[in-house]
Amino acid sequence: MNFTFRRKRISGILTVLPAREQSFVDDMKNFNFPEARSLKLKEVMGYDKHRIVEPSVCVSDLVVFALKHLFEKELLLPDEFDALILVTQSPDYFMPPTSNVIQGRLNLKKDLFCVDINQGCAGFVIGLIQAFLLLEQESIRKVLVVNADVLSRKTSPKDRNSYPLIGDGASITVVERDTVDSVIHANLKMDGTRNNVLMIPAGGFRRPSSPETACLEDVGDNNLRAKDHLHMDGSAVFNFVQVEVPALIADLLQHTGSSIEQVDYFFCHQPNRFMLQKLADKMRIPHAKMPSNVVENFGNSSGVTIPTAIAFNLGDRLIQEKFKVCFAGFGVGLTWGAMLLDLGRVNFNSLIDYA
Amino acid sequence: MDKTLFYEQMAQILDAEEVKPENVLKDFETWDSLAVLSVMAMADSKFGVAIKADEMRSAVTAADLEKLVEGKLK
Repeated sequence: MNFTFRRKRISGILTVLPAREQSFVDDMKNFNFPEARSLKLKEVMGYDKHRIVEPSVCVSDLVVFALKHLFEKELLLPDEFDALILVTQSPDYFMPPTSNVIQGRLNLKKDLFCVDINQGCAGFVIGLIQAFLLLEQESIRKVLVVNADVLSRKTSPKDRNSYPLIGDGASITVVERDTVDSVIHANLKMDGTRNNVLMIPAGGFRRPSSPETACLEDVGDNNLRAKDHLHMDGSAVFNFVQVEVPALIADLLQHTGSSIEQVDYFFCHQPNRFMLQKLADKMRIPHAKMPSNVVENFGNSSGVTIPTAIAFNLGDRLIQEKFKVCFAGFGVGLTWGAMLLDLGRVNFNSLIDYA
Repeated sequence: MDKTLFYEQMAQILDAEEVKPENVLKDFETWDSLAVLSVMAMADSKFGVAIKADEMRSAVTAADLEKLVEGKLK
């Protein structure tokens, strides 16, 4: 489905990543796999190092840290935003919503619309769509789209299909009304029949965690993982991205009468370098226009990867300059969404460490 | 379909000097999930077809994979 939003803009992006860095070479020690093949995996997929939290760190810890940073630097005032949309798959609790936990920990005002959305790799696009819809209300001046996940805590270190690429992090994106007559287009699709391609099978109400769901099982190729762990059907994900995402972006460009040449950057979700380069090649997008360097430096932190890619590749340039960008997120659900907008002249765009 | 290209690509993916149609995939130590993914990527970029890992599961020899790709081309 297509969306059109008028007079809305992104005015700031902050990404916080755990300071703790782990290398693929360290990860390899846990794999039950010939070293040469592990190194081949590293080379082909573009794995190197990734940022993961200490095992006790929760989503609200990362987000409170990020918001305090913005308040202290006076880049954002505690009472100037009226909604906080938290997009996460790793909430602090089943209940209450983690957005309320954040509100409480920071003593934010009560006239604040707090909502959690359970979404992942398409979560940046989903969060922005929700934020733009909320901005139709007069009482809402600014919305924070908060993407945050600590999925390393649910990933088996002995599963080389997922562990070497996983990353943790949080990002705060400030969205507000634009003073010029700007237009943002988005395109979103979902397919719940493939909801099992990316899932954590146990730990919810359908299959509560038990000693049995904590047992590591050999799931093929000597990868060990429990039902409590994140499960990713890598080849099904690859097929999904290869088939659906080029069509999604092509549709959005066609719908808006735009061409690849007119777009300065394609900021896609970052599953790994391999998939992104294949995607770029298939769409004939020059690699320089589609950054794919997030996973090798920081890991894949689901909804946080697009803000990370923007901060890492553009940094302070985004404060002075303006670009035509296309976002594309794809993952759990399955969900795939793209957005075309002018991005720039923001108040801040940076990456900080959580320590 | 360019068969020479297909078998050259298979040799690259499997880190082998040469891959022949009758070669059994499981006889290669390098035939693993990474190789499966690489075959999917190769089929897409060199032959323009999308194949699923499920469809590859019944392939025993390299020729079976070749037939799978060729079948999609039609």
